[in-house]
Amino acid sequence: MSKSEKKIVLKSLDNEAFEVEKAVALQSQTIWVMCEDKCVGNEIPLENVTGQILAKVIDYCKKHAVVDGDGDESSEELKNWDTEFTKNMDQSTLFNMILAANYLNIKSLLNLTCQAVADKTKTIDEFHTFLNIENNFTPEEEAQICQENLWAFDD
Amino acid sequence: MSSKVKAEEEKTSKPESLITLLPEEIIIDILARVPSCHYQTLSQVSKHFRSLLASDELYATRSLLGCTKRCRLYVLLYNRERRDDACFVAVSPRIYMFGGDQNNMALSIDCRSHTVQRLPDMPVPMSGTVADVIDGRIYIIGDGGNYVLEKVMVVFDTKSQKWESRVIKPGVELGDTWSYGCVVMADKLYTRDDHNSFVYEPKECKWETDEMLNFQKWRDACVVDDVLYSLNPDENYKLRAYDPAQKCWRVVKGLEKLLSKFLGWPYTVSYDLCAEISLETHQGGEIWGKIEWFDHGIFYENFYFRKSLAVMV
Repeated sequence: MSKSEKKIVLKSLDNEAFEVEKAVALQSQTIWVMCEDKCVGNEIPLENVTGQILAKVIDYCKKHAVVDGDGDESSEELKNWDTEFTKNMDQSTLFNMILAANYLNIKSLLNLTCQAVADKTKTIDEFHTFLNIENNFTPEEEAQICQENLWAFDD
Repeated sequence: MSSKVKAEEEKTSKPESLITLLPEEIIIDILARVPSCHYQTLSQVSKHFRSLLASDELYATRSLLGCTKRCRLYVLLYNRERRDDACFVAVSPRIYMFGGDQNNMALSIDCRSHTVQRLPDMPVPMSGTVADVIDGRIYIIGDGGNYVLEKVMVVFDTKSQKWESRVIKPGVELGDTWSYGCVVMADKLYTRDDHNSFVYEPKECKWETDEMLNFQKWRDACVVDDVLYSLNPDENYKLRAYDPAQKCWRVVKGLEKLLSKFLGWPYTVSYDLCAEISLETHQGGEIWGKIEWFDHGIFYENFYFRKSLAVMV
């Protein structure tokens, strides 16, 4: 296999191009299928992912790729790296990472980012603010639910 | 105000919710990773969340993620001042409540999210209900009817969450079953009144009396491996076991010391001892009980023990 065949170019929504090892990119099932189809050349357009997010996804894939003996990271180290990776991500980055991991079909990254959201949101307020969800219960409904929960359970 | 300006204003005051961009299965994935002790709180986030937290998909995802199931024991207490004769049945992960006080209300309590859901009303209002479950269908026996009270049985299908339309009139004369309760052994329903013990076979819709079961005055019984266990206060607190396959009653051995503590049960407040007993059948059919632990319950003065329900969550 020639050197150029081992490389692949990923192009983001905002036209940023990233040249990566094929083994790195193929962790994405979506890219893998695109390459298998041979309907694309060496350059793969990813219309749902911005350059900022794609750069992070590639960072993740590089860390997790097993390339020519580079994959000798201990699982403990990898776990710590993953924790650090998502630790300081803000809400919007984390959600865009989930959307990207889902679109690119990278299961382990999806697991990691979903877990990060779950870990950051435990209270009603956290869910309202972090997820920007509007509380659509009427005050009466809310009171009723509290009442129902009250008589049934009091944790 | 033009729609454009309005849209702009909404954009600045309420940024678009990011979670609405996520596919539903991912929202479920995220919720499945949140420890279940937070579910009661999360069910108050929005209507959408409330429905997701009660969905079977969420719990399927949780088991895929390897979240361990736990057995919770719920103890039902009675308020002495308010005689409430509804009945409760556990069908994991839910507890169902039916009727009581000539009421046709039915509720299910999801023990995973600790949320209550109103079920379709019972076909007839009922009081003094007893119930148990066979193959996902809950059989409820009680005094029912709109004008004249008579013993009836109705069936709720937990899979379809619907009532079966027929109201069954038992082919036997049933008295006060409420004071004794009912149990299921080997897909048959057993109950009793002051005089007789009865067995109902759902496949053939057949009621019969069970003379041998009636040999002991069982009440508030529990069933382990199709054998009924009942503590009879009139008989010096012996734990007795009835095996319907062999049609025979036995006394469970090895529990004499523990059971001597049940002084005055069940009519005084001293009935507050909880114990976990593991059972072992020896050769020849002898059943031996081993006390794993026992403790005093913390029941309030005006409440007394009615029933305990084990639910897997």
